[in-house]
Amino acid sequence: MFLHNFKYSFLFLLKNKSLVFWTFFFPIILGTFFYMTFSNIENNEKLKKINIAIINNEELKNDKLLLSVLGYLSEDNNNEIFSTIYTDLEKAKELLENKEIIGYLEIKNSKYLITIKENGIEQTIFKYIIDEIIETKIIIKDISSTEKNINLEELYNKINNNITKVVDMSSDNLSYTMIEYYTLIAMSCLYGGVFGMYAINNILANMSKQGARVAISSIKKRTLLLSSLLAAFLIQLIGSLLLLSYTIFILNVDYGNNIVNTLIMTVTGSIAGLTLGVAIAALFKTNENIKIGIILSITMLGSFLSGMMGITMKYIVDKNMPLLNIINPANMITDGFYSIYYYQSMDRFYFNIISLLIFSSIMVMISIVRLRSQKYDSI
Amino acid sequence: MKKIIEVKHLTKKYRKIKAIDNLSFYVFENEILGLLGPNGSGKTTTINAMLSLLSYDKGNICYLGKEITPDSYDIKKEIGVVFQEIAVFDELTVYENIDYFCGLYIEDKKIRKKYVDDAIKLVKLEQFVNYKPKALSGGLKRRLNIACGIAHKPKIIFLDEPTVAVDPQSRNNILEGIKKLRENGATIIYTTHYMEEVEKICDRIIILDKGKIICQGTKEELKQLTGIEEKVTIEINNLDRNHIEKFKKLQNVKNVEYRFENLEITFIKGKNNFTKLIDYLKKEKISYNKIYSEMPTLNDVFLELTGKDLKD
Ligand SMILES: Nc1ncnc2c1ncn2[C@@H]1O[C@H](COP(=O)(O)OP(=O)(O)OP(=O)(O)O)[C@@H](O)[C@H]1O
Ligand SMILES: [Mg+2]
Repeated sequence: MFLHNFKYSFLFLLKNKSLVFWTFFFPIILGTFFYMTFSNIENNEKLKKINIAIINNEELKNDKLLLSVLGYLSEDNNNEIFSTIYTDLEKAKELLENKEIIGYLEIKNSKYLITIKENGIEQTIFKYIIDEIIETKIIIKDISSTEKNINLEELYNKINNNITKVVDMSSDNLSYTMIEYYTLIAMSCLYGGVFGMYAINNILANMSKQGARVAISSIKKRTLLLSSLLAAFLIQLIGSLLLLSYTIFILNVDYGNNIVNTLIMTVTGSIAGLTLGVAIAALFKTNENIKIGIILSITMLGSFLSGMMGITMKYIVDKNMPLLNIINPANMITDGFYSIYYYQSMDRFYFNIISLLIFSSIMVMISIVRLRSQKYDSI
Repeated sequence: MKKIIEVKHLTKKYRKIKAIDNLSFYVFENEILGLLGPNGSGKTTTINAMLSLLSYDKGNICYLGKEITPDSYDIKKEIGVVFQEIAVFDELTVYENIDYFCGLYIEDKKIRKKYVDDAIKLVKLEQFVNYKPKALSGGLKRRLNIACGIAHKPKIIFLDEPTVAVDPQSRNNILEGIKKLRENGATIIYTTHYMEEVEKICDRIIILDKGKIICQGTKEELKQLTGIEEKVTIEINNLDRNHIEKFKKLQNVKNVEYRFENLEITFIKGKNNFTKLIDYLKKEKISYNKIYSEMPTLNDVFLELTGKDLKD
């Protein structure tokens, strides 16, 4: 019975053409599209430094930390990110008007004022780095007011490390587009949940006509659920792995040469997607199209917040609404891939894996509560 | 006769509306029981409750003395259902659909293959085994729907309006198939709002209205209830109004109506009503085109008991 239901669930999910198109081929098409657009941008961006201006006044001269950090970031080494001009306000305004710089920083009454003309990746990085510097300064102030014997050199090193990280995130070490491919995998994992949704809808009496027919049969509900979900998961995984291989072999996306962790991440991401789909199937008593809509909205919003349409968004959310990305499964997956690629330490990777498992468990618990009832008030 | 199913005081409310109200009845072994009632009378609700799909507010339902629950797999094994709405998978072919549902009961592959083939033969879908449901006409889809419900050769079969929106040929096919299933030993619960079907194939009939049983029994028993013996229809052109009043005064006449050149006279029980009527027509020199006599129908029964037509 288990195998019978498994076989047929597999068959009718796989034979659903529009479902297979949107889950298997749409992400691949989208990835190709990314590839075509970004390969141009990428090549230009790598060489380009960000042109900024700093208003040269008394306050700036007193801000040793800012000066040293900006100096470091503009120095001719491999990490340079800014091309910095020190000038007066008038001149800076003119430069901005002529688009020779993307923005300028003025320190006035101990406040850091950033002026930009338009929004974009470069502007975001500029703001982000200045924010980082200000934050670090506050920490130093705090420490120095409590601790008298402070080792300044050590502190500078720490800041420099942090700054290097920031720089690495935004300069040629992390290409802008890499994150977007990661969100693409995240999208595919989560959207694959529609298979789970269909599998559940097809066997519940209160969700579909076929479900009523299945429910009156002499097969145990547990056997039914498990075999259907296994089929859904397998198909979903095939889809995600197909996309993963495509990005690796055709689009040359770099996953940090750690194939095992990359696979673990993909599988865990797919579990999160599956359980999300199941929970939505169990939670809402509406037709399939509306459920697809709900899964699609969650997936798209999640992917967008974790940087699918530009890394800027991820920065903004991480910075201003960190909670949102902590509960966002798309971000967990994206961040997980990113951590494999970028960090030496595994902590962040494990953190994301565990977050995904917690997310999945919550989805499972929600589903169990709803799936337990065997008789319905109405069907 | 052995009682296979016993339903006692079954009541089901949807919010405040009582969809079925205190139903009690039996189903006997190897009979075809008809549940007859207009739209919304509670036929589907009754069936779904009997299948333990719906929760209900009161009453109990026993199969051979055992109360059914969603976990009564031994009972469910013996049941087959043809739902009112077509419930098949669009992605699977005719054969695969039947095989899938049959396989939820029958594990042995050889036996299953035979059962699936038998079901296909029964509903005469041999030429369409590799078609997807979308490619089938409405009537063929209905037949597939039936095959999916009965392929595992259940002992008890529920059919919920299986002939709705089906052409006469398919309908006859379906009715023949149902008779065959009974010949092979199945007990059948058949719902419909077509009284002709019920008269044709059912041994016993339960008439439902607004969730209540208004009467039950064999055809003959139900017709007794009307107190009508026969209904005579005479085609007469331009009948004089005065005559109608005279017809009403004849012996045993219950009702007289003249519509569209047709004079309909219903008689209560009595002897030689028809011959007496013809004698009267001769005597009065009323010329007519056609005259025929009918037994009362279930519609008359329904009309008598509820004051409204069964037909919409
Ligand atoms: N899910 C539901 N929620 C609320 N009311 C319902 C629901 N299903 C049925 N009803 C109501 O219960 C009553 C009985 O409906 P039911 O479907 O059992 O009738 P039926 O005899 O099968 O009718 P039909 O010939 O149209 O199939 C109707 O008044 C209907 O409106
Ligand atoms: Mg109905």
